[in-house]
Amino acid sequence: MNGRIGLAIAVVLTGVSAFLIQVIASQAGTAQPWGNELSDDFVFVRALPIVLGLGVAYGLVGGWARSTGRPARRGDGAIRRFSGTTIALHALLAVGFLLALPTGLWQYLGGILDAPGPLPVYLYYRIHYVGAAIILVAVTGFVTYWWMTGDRSLLIPRGDWGRHLRGFALEIPRPLGTRLARILKLDLRRPAGSSGAFTFYEKVFSFPTWGFAIGLITITGLVKLLRYAVPIPGTIIFVDSTLHVTAMVILVIRTLDHLRYTLGRWPLVVAIATGWLPPRRGHAAGAAADVAEAERSATGAGS
Amino acid sequence: MKRLVAVLGLLWAAANLVVTYWMVTGAFMATTARKEGLVAQVSLLLGGLLVGAFAVGLGRLCLRILAAPDEASGA
Repeated sequence: MNGRIGLAIAVVLTGVSAFLIQVIASQAGTAQPWGNELSDDFVFVRALPIVLGLGVAYGLVGGWARSTGRPARRGDGAIRRFSGTTIALHALLAVGFLLALPTGLWQYLGGILDAPGPLPVYLYYRIHYVGAAIILVAVTGFVTYWWMTGDRSLLIPRGDWGRHLRGFALEIPRPLGTRLARILKLDLRRPAGSSGAFTFYEKVFSFPTWGFAIGLITITGLVKLLRYAVPIPGTIIFVDSTLHVTAMVILVIRTLDHLRYTLGRWPLVVAIATGWLPPRRGHAAGAAADVAEAERSATGAGS
Repeated sequence: MKRLVAVLGLLWAAANLVVTYWMVTGAFMATTARKEGLVAQVSLLLGGLLVGAFAVGLGRLCLRILAAPDEASGA
């Protein structure tokens, strides 16, 4: 029941936010001295509080609607891996990336190659800003949701780094794993134990690099966005733009790696679409034992 | 469904290979990168090669899924 009410609240909030942003955009009007790019920049700056507020609201609603009494295991043996809020925010993030990454890449490569591309420049920026706004909503939504629910299943507990690094070295291809173990002085003969609801690869490498790159691109993007509204020295803008592009390239690589990792483990794709890790051979079967541990500690709901 | 996702993944990998081509050739040929100096050129080259390597990895997996959906996708 809470889920349906939460969804209804989220839909209403989305509608109200879209209306408010539309009002801001229409207030910019045509009788202003700026070009379309600069005009869009100001619309985005003024819409920022609404965008961030909507993300926080999604997180709060998701946290409130999360049912703590749900079973973590289905009758057919499937294990709950993701909650409805996580699925929705992940999908939102994917849509944001689909809009922001290609347009960001085109702005960068178009400048490098000195090729304007088929669309007017302002349209690339406009689509990029829409994608960035969606990413901001999803990121603030996730952070608020994790704060609300206290879910830390993707984080490595304090004092448990050695075991996780060992598990990570054992999960990646052997030549890479042994090299990493030699550098970090890890004893791979010792068992790593259970990684919990997520694999060592996801906890040690995937999630931290996603978090770092998304954090970097968000902060540098906000600085770039605010440079017309607040005076910022040219050197800072140069460093900021370089870091923004670096984060973009990291995200392009992370997206490819994430797709490679998950498509090679189809139950994970099913899990992010339905919330349930199917009871199949391969990863799901292996993960069943891991998730059993998470089940014991969780309140019965998935991240 | 698995095949459709594999085709989409293949398209994404192919698009990223185009990006790789632009970045790698841009490192040597683009006037802007040459003006910005060696660091910009090396960054373009390294970034391009990394994107290319991961795109090849994804592309290979998607081709394997298309050939044998159950074996390649761990399901």
